[in-house]
Amino acid sequence: MERNEGETMNVDIVVIGGGASGLAAALSAKDETNSVIVLEREHVLGGILNQCIHNGFGLHVFREELTGPEYASRFIEKFHAENIDYKLDTTVLSINKPDDCFIVEAYNNEDGALTIHAKAVILSSGCYERTRGQIKLPGARVAGIMPAGSAQRYLNIDGYLAGKDVFILGSGDIGLIMARRMTLEGAKVHGVAELMPYSNGLTRNIVQCLHDFDIPLYLSHTVTDIKGTKRLEEITIQEVDENYQPIAGTEKKFSVDTLLLSVGLVPDTMVFESMDLTLSPITKGAIVDHTYQSNIPGIFACGNALHVHDLVDWVTIESEKAGASAKRYVAGEIKEERNNLTIEPREGIRYTVPQSIDMNNFKEPVTVMFRVTNKYDVGTFTVKQGDTIIQQKKARFIAPAEMESLMIKPEQLIDQTTPITIELEVK
Amino acid sequence: MLDYVIIGGGVVGTLIARELSKYEVSILLLEKENDIGNHATLANSAIIHSGHDPKPGSLKAQLCVRGNTMYETLAKELKIPLIFSGAFVVARDQEEVDTLDLLYQRALHNGVKEVALLDADEAQNREGNLADGVLKVLDLPTTKVTYPWEVAIAALENALLNGAQFKTNAKVTKISPVNDHFIVEINQQEEIEARYVINAAGVYADELASFVEDDLPYRITPRRGEYFVLDKKVKGFVERVLYPVPSDKGKGVLVVPQVHGNILLGPTSEFQDAKENRDNHSDHLNWIRRDSEKLAKNIPFDQIIRTFSGLRATSTYHDFYIQPAKKHPQFIHVAGIDSPGLTAAPAIAEYVVKTLLNRDQRLPKKTDFNPNRVKKKPFYESHFEEKLQLFKEDHRHGHIVCKCERVTEAEVVAAIHSPVASPTIKGIKKRVRAGSGLCQGGYCENTIVKIIARELNIPISEVDYYEKETPILWKETKVKR
Repeated sequence: MERNEGETMNVDIVVIGGGASGLAAALSAKDETNSVIVLEREHVLGGILNQCIHNGFGLHVFREELTGPEYASRFIEKFHAENIDYKLDTTVLSINKPDDCFIVEAYNNEDGALTIHAKAVILSSGCYERTRGQIKLPGARVAGIMPAGSAQRYLNIDGYLAGKDVFILGSGDIGLIMARRMTLEGAKVHGVAELMPYSNGLTRNIVQCLHDFDIPLYLSHTVTDIKGTKRLEEITIQEVDENYQPIAGTEKKFSVDTLLLSVGLVPDTMVFESMDLTLSPITKGAIVDHTYQSNIPGIFACGNALHVHDLVDWVTIESEKAGASAKRYVAGEIKEERNNLTIEPREGIRYTVPQSIDMNNFKEPVTVMFRVTNKYDVGTFTVKQGDTIIQQKKARFIAPAEMESLMIKPEQLIDQTTPITIELEVK
Repeated sequence: MLDYVIIGGGVVGTLIARELSKYEVSILLLEKENDIGNHATLANSAIIHSGHDPKPGSLKAQLCVRGNTMYETLAKELKIPLIFSGAFVVARDQEEVDTLDLLYQRALHNGVKEVALLDADEAQNREGNLADGVLKVLDLPTTKVTYPWEVAIAALENALLNGAQFKTNAKVTKISPVNDHFIVEINQQEEIEARYVINAAGVYADELASFVEDDLPYRITPRRGEYFVLDKKVKGFVERVLYPVPSDKGKGVLVVPQVHGNILLGPTSEFQDAKENRDNHSDHLNWIRRDSEKLAKNIPFDQIIRTFSGLRATSTYHDFYIQPAKKHPQFIHVAGIDSPGLTAAPAIAEYVVKTLLNRDQRLPKKTDFNPNRVKKKPFYESHFEEKLQLFKEDHRHGHIVCKCERVTEAEVVAAIHSPVASPTIKGIKKRVRAGSGLCQGGYCENTIVKIIARELNIPISEVDYYEKETPILWKETKVKR
């Protein structure tokens, strides 16, 4: 019997995921000297942008307001013009590095098993939605409870509406967008509950998706009971105290058949299960230096697979940098030996990306993205090395939902060894 | 006229069906749900207990120890997952140490093999994440863990292979004894005649029994247990099942390694009247957190991917009640099967058939009984070469539907058309694990809904989540009405 070996390929750079992040990374990684392949599990490129049919994309990158599919198509056209290799309907199951190159194991209907030997891997596989189990939502386990992004896909890609009387738990952007979207499609959205005393979504989405449609937002509230026999019939929400514990006597009941969960996104790093990729306990994505290289040399991460972004524009910009680094890595332009100077979040800062600067490869200014831990009208970000202030930046309308950034230049550093810290001062 | 009607498609009913299928008799299993193994079989700790806990001399003690020894062969014949984990019962103060010594004696008395008492250091050496402050441990190497609903599915598949029949969506609404047989009414419409009725109806056993027995010697008082599931990433966090010293409330909250690498924390124990309510409560989940930390340290609570709860069919009889009805001895009660019901199930089946139904050995044995279930090795367990072979046989093995659990389209399609099928999201999850992983179906549900709709030739808005009439979607948009 003839033994099917499956197809084996050799490329310089494998990009996992062909959404906003993978497309931008591949475009900047590709040049005439190297080979790049993008592996996408869906049957079209563009990723989650395809189901984001609302506008508001591209204000920073294109200075235009585009819809998700429009934003994606700009990159897909460029991608095809560059003739970059790609495979659709292809799922990567594992990555290993037994010796000097990575072995990427992927599957699809046509090739069966695909074994790709690569010098570098860019992880741009996006994120997944937190679920009912992860937030330990109490009550009956009935039909009619789903992540907001799943409902978005059913509605915008498949043309099916999940329910007619809807409540939304969590005020993340997808939840807000879906409140409007389901209203427009004929469902009645009874309200949005948010555990925190402030929304986790962009201000413009609060205004355009809730206020404009008279959908109430219950801050410092959470769902404390779910009732129903087969389909969801009723939910109870309650106000919570400063420790997020429900306050007795504040119960409000809503007769709804659908509860959408917009309770957070988590970077998808599952394909690295068999490798020792160091993950951040805060972002749940890889820990990277300023070249977006992880602890494993040759593995780069970007987009929502690295940390969850609020704007696709930042995904694009970040992924272009990761792609460029992978190109330099393959060309031997990144020094292998690393000398990482850590960037540490201090008072008021939740996390930073990157988490370090590799001093052996630090020549250009580095953009550090970070999120704050609380909401403030005004504050000052202070970058220090030890007690020495190396930079300060004033900011207004600071919120955990809105990513902040600042730039660190090589000449600002006082030495090569004292960790950099970032803190937020508020009056 | 049928020889045997079995009411209830949990592990007990399905294993009785398989045991009976060794004989030249006609068998029909009736299940009120749209799938078998949907209640206690679906929501339990998955443990094959050693038999250290039940009261000596009880039917529970006898059938638990016997059942435990039967699982190894059962697993081989039915191709069900089984891990030989072993277990520790953990004592934390002097009072518990005293109880542990009694428990050791009880285990010996019940005939449990290889039991031993270990001091704290020895226990700590063997189980690195054992909680600090443990004084003494009862070592139970014969404890195992299985995949409960696959036991039921496999047992029924094998019973069907050997001539049994089954019906889902078949609720028994009346049982009328007539002369030497019974008329069993299904869904208030259909009537079936059978010489014997075996009542394996779990929490509903008392309601069914009251059709034939006026003075019922037991009532079922459902006892709810809630659980946490940790992602399979935590595989190896503990090797063994960890039990606290039991109290009057039962075995207590446990830490249980699962066959696919997940860890289960639970159950709680709460009596309730309702026979269907399987809600989770925030304060009960806090109770699990608190109690599980007495058994293990460094529990990765951030890896919780799911909560669930189930009902134990606890009875007022305080032991398994497995007896013929007094007035109508061809009606067999198999009732009050709470813990260690999963462990005892194969022994219960053997007891019902050999001791009650075939005591005089007059049932004719089948000469061609086939004890083996045919099961394809799952894609996720296959080596690379085997995966290539799977792809050659069916190119839909190249389409990974569920990335978390590595399930292919070919496997989903096979499950939809399997002999004991239930083409719902949950039915597929039970059979191939799609949706059991980290994203809890967030990604694969959309694809599976479409595959089910395609295979059954129905619109995707008619695909059910679990029970009948539980569609995931309300309506198609942009269509003329």
